[in-house]
Amino acid sequence: MTQTFEHLARGFRALLIALALGFAASGAHAHGLNVFAFVENGEVVVEARFSSGRVPTEGTVRIYDDADILVATMALSEDGALRFPLTGAARESGLRIEVDAGSGHRDYWLLTPADIAAGLDASG
Amino acid sequence: MSQHPRPSRLAAATLALALSTGAAGAHYGMIIPTTPMLGQKDGRSVGLTLSFSHPFELDGMVLEMPEAFSVTHEGETTDLTGDLVEATVMGQPGYTLDYPIARPGTYVFAMTPQPYWEPADDAFITHYTKTYVSAFGEDEGWDIELGLKTEIVPISKPFGLWAGNVFQGTVLFDGAPSPFAEVEVEFYNEEGTATVPSELMVTQTIKADEEGIFTYATPAAGWWGFAALTTAEEPMMFEGEEKDHELGAVIWVRFEEWG
Repeated sequence: MTQTFEHLARGFRALLIALALGFAASGAHAHGLNVFAFVENGEVVVEARFSSGRVPTEGTVRIYDDADILVATMALSEDGALRFPLTGAARESGLRIEVDAGSGHRDYWLLTPADIAAGLDASG
Repeated sequence: MSQHPRPSRLAAATLALALSTGAAGAHYGMIIPTTPMLGQKDGRSVGLTLSFSHPFELDGMVLEMPEAFSVTHEGETTDLTGDLVEATVMGQPGYTLDYPIARPGTYVFAMTPQPYWEPADDAFITHYTKTYVSAFGEDEGWDIELGLKTEIVPISKPFGLWAGNVFQGTVLFDGAPSPFAEVEVEFYNEEGTATVPSELMVTQTIKADEEGIFTYATPAAGWWGFAALTTAEEPMMFEGEEKDHELGAVIWVRFEEWG
């Protein structure tokens, strides 16, 4: 049976609200940047790509906690990706990961607790 | 005040009767996903329902375990046949699958069914059936050719279409364009609310051009099935007699309500 987002994001209400606000405020889909993130070997892997298939060679990655408070800001690598360690708190609560590649190219991925658990399980 | 003749209770009843007998529509292999565009708020999997049906009349037929059911993503094809779950679809045996989506991109689901013996047509029917799901905002890979015996390769991106948009595709047979191929078009009357003024309009028929390209503009939102039909050169045997074998290249495309 298809899992609903609500199921995946149980206990993740603040980020759900942030997501809704983000859709309204950021124009996330208007500029063709797509952001995806997953957990692999204990790290969060962030991937950004334009709808053309090209990757942004620079950009700012902002990490928000489950209360949508900014907890870290990092630079996107030249290959349009970023890896950073998954901390204990985030394992339980999830993260919102926003990539700003400039000129209005901005999008985010909501890394839910279920996503994190699945990534940790897959990595052993 | 003059009275206009009312076309219709009798005519409507007659049409309803004709439709209820399943005589008007075409056969379609069907793969219908829960959504053609999976967003991150929709979860991390997509549900798929496989059937063999008359989609307008919601008249099901038996779908035996397909010879193959697969998904293709980023050039890699994975066999999912063993993951199918038996289900009842439109009152007949079919299959479902909840497929987990791990990464963004276009997922092309394809079914090769077992040949279906249709006494009414005195022929076997095999519909090579496809549908597409775009996941998490990425859409690359929607125009690939899978290499099926016969298939429709979309020219229009097969998701993210508005009702009223035209849909274009190329009919391929053995990997080559099929000039002037006949393409049947039918609406999946999922809610059972669509009506037709004539049974001739349950299934519409168009032809591809000399390069195998066809064009159709949908009048309403929902799932639309396009089936390019060919008779195989090799007949099949049934009770000691040679019978025609209809090969269909079927693609299911969803058109969204405007606004």
